[in-house]
Amino acid sequence: MNEFITQFLIESREFVEQATEGLLVLEQSPHDVERLDSVFRAFHTLKGGAGIVEFTAMEQAVHAAEEILSAARSGKRALTTALVGDCLACLDQVVQWLDILEQTGEFPSSVAKAKADESWLAAILEANPGVRPRVTTAMQFIPDADCFYQGEDPIARVTALPALLALDIQPVAAWPSLNDFDPYKCNLVLTALTAASMSEVTAHMHGHSGTCEMRAIGPAQSTPQALGLPSQARDILSAQLVLLGHATAANFAGFVASAGMTAVNVLRSCAHAETAALVEQSIGQSLTGNSTEPLRNAIAQLLSPSPPTLSVATAVSGKPDAAAQTLRIDARRVDALVRLTGELTVAKNAAGHVAKLAQEQGNALAGVLKERQVVLDRLVAELQESVLGMRVLPLRTVLQRFPRVVREMSVSLGKPLALEIEGDDTEADKAIVEMLFEPLLHIVRNAVDHGIESPGERAARGKPATAKIRIRAARQADQVIIEISDDGGGIDLARVREVARTRGVATEEELREMSDADIVDLVFAAGFSTAAKVTELSGRGVGMDAVRTAVERIGGRVSIESRAGLGATVRFSLPFSVMMTQVMTVEASGQMFGVPLDAIVETVSVPRAAISGIGAAHAIVLRNRTVPVVDLSNVLGLRETMRDETNTTLVITAFAGQVGGLRVDRIGERLEVILKPLDGLLSGMPGITGTTLLGDGRVLLVLDIGELLQ
Amino acid sequence: MTIKISAAGQIELTGICSSEEGEVLLQHLLASPNMMVNWRGCEAAHTAVIQVLMAARPRLLGPPADIFLEKWVQPVLAATMHT
Repeated sequence: MNEFITQFLIESREFVEQATEGLLVLEQSPHDVERLDSVFRAFHTLKGGAGIVEFTAMEQAVHAAEEILSAARSGKRALTTALVGDCLACLDQVVQWLDILEQTGEFPSSVAKAKADESWLAAILEANPGVRPRVTTAMQFIPDADCFYQGEDPIARVTALPALLALDIQPVAAWPSLNDFDPYKCNLVLTALTAASMSEVTAHMHGHSGTCEMRAIGPAQSTPQALGLPSQARDILSAQLVLLGHATAANFAGFVASAGMTAVNVLRSCAHAETAALVEQSIGQSLTGNSTEPLRNAIAQLLSPSPPTLSVATAVSGKPDAAAQTLRIDARRVDALVRLTGELTVAKNAAGHVAKLAQEQGNALAGVLKERQVVLDRLVAELQESVLGMRVLPLRTVLQRFPRVVREMSVSLGKPLALEIEGDDTEADKAIVEMLFEPLLHIVRNAVDHGIESPGERAARGKPATAKIRIRAARQADQVIIEISDDGGGIDLARVREVARTRGVATEEELREMSDADIVDLVFAAGFSTAAKVTELSGRGVGMDAVRTAVERIGGRVSIESRAGLGATVRFSLPFSVMMTQVMTVEASGQMFGVPLDAIVETVSVPRAAISGIGAAHAIVLRNRTVPVVDLSNVLGLRETMRDETNTTLVITAFAGQVGGLRVDRIGERLEVILKPLDGLLSGMPGITGTTLLGDGRVLLVLDIGELLQ
Repeated sequence: MTIKISAAGQIELTGICSSEEGEVLLQHLLASPNMMVNWRGCEAAHTAVIQVLMAARPRLLGPPADIFLEKWVQPVLAATMHT
């Protein structure tokens, strides 16, 4: 695939996204002028791109949508939900084409077809140059040969087209001699140009028999339809010009005033109030300057094909052109850089180790080494931050797909839905952002399918008919939090118990002992959602357990909170970056372990006596709170019993809201490491989340606090 | 009957000419290929009738009474005559 096409694909997808996002906003607030402009520009650029690579079908499709938007921009027509739907459908088609193009490297075959017969369009446009500026739709209609028998009168239908500008009628096949002529067989091709929109023409032609092709025609590059004035308005304005031409010294003032006010009124009625004000000014100028010139120029400009300089320049956005300041880099190169930086971090840690050794041995260079090491430390940290920053994407890249998804769900399930997205500029590592779509989609589908009640039920419960789904993203320290909440009925606890029992996820006894929160959490249990059921509702064969697995694989957590009758909230806590983990080293039974720093609340040294035995377990009261204590050596099977000592070192950890103390022999240092997940034989090892290399070459096992405290 | 031979020796289209009258017009034109067609009184003509005019290309006496015919169909027929 040549570079041109590659670039075209990348850019087109970007503009499709931009347009989709904008259209969905427009559907809610059709008067958002800035948004309309942005969507229009996106379509316009898509069309331009398609033109450059000579992808005619796409150019035409996008052009049709652009026409709708253009009409909306000029205030000629309201942007209805149906029209937004049409534009979205157009984008869907474009995405399909782009996919085919990307996969095969060739333009979809339909292109050839679309390219094949465009001659009629060119022919009629050429034959009628005078009407060109006003044409919005061209149509070629070939009635069925037997259409007369169906009571049709094709010519009458076409001549009655709204705002017909030109008509051409030709025989499909050359006329036979009159002796062979069959007057009951229709042998005509009707080609027409109109100033009506494509949808108007479509409506007019509804129910015809035969083939009817339509093309939306934009203003030609050289003759754009200034201001988008309807033809009647243009006719009136031209008449004023003629009138002004007849003005004499005697009747000058009256002519200027009457022609001017007519023009102003025409503009006002076409919703061009700003331009009308400018014309009003020119009336003043004409009257004071005793010349019809200013007003005539003003009106002529309105009718002129070149873009009207009269119209107030659109406010230039203060935002610098973002595109000009960005550089596209292959993600693989960035990944290579990230890997290298990771290795550099390891090397830096090793240097730190050497510096410490030198200090311990009283080496004369120890001081300098330490100093250099600190500098190195800072530089590597900065480098790492910048490199990871390169891989960072705003969550918008995934969240922007949801308005569309929710819109479709709303239509297909007949549940009015409103989606609110907050904090979509929150950033996270590319790897995390990219894996989020499926899990989020599943959660949203579940919320719509199960959480949100039918409109009737909602009415009975006194809830607004339109259900609300809210996706909220925020950065919290090293975590990215995404919450998906709905205002539906919440999770039916009785039903969850029932399902859990029948599917053998939990026994009757276990269920009895579970708190409501535990019950809710069961929906994530493996085997809770059976494949058959999942497929039927999500079509993807993903259960909630798969959601949890996917999120945990990248070091995140997912939890759910439900309030009966008020809705449910699913919360994803994700690491900002998958690459670097801060750990604190601890020692137990002479062995070093790493504890993820984000799980550590504090480290305390408490008298041995403060730890009391509760049954088989141990706990400590810390700031009026009972904290369970586990001995790291014990839990990892390194030693059997607790030692005798006066003071005990505890690492207080918090995980998923659960606080626990980890009893260790000694606390080491803080390190930033690349966590490698366990693989091979080690992968099933409980309590260990991964490994990393220490500066001195030893392997550090990093603990999985969640598992240890369970 | 809206299509008939007038006293002046012209094929006259008057009032509303329906689809069946394409056949009538065709028969007249087959019988007298050089006869002029006067459609000044024509208020509407079905596609079938217009099609016969296009194929037979008789000399036309217009303009027709209907403005749609005058504005849209007459120019098409005129163009056919010339080619």
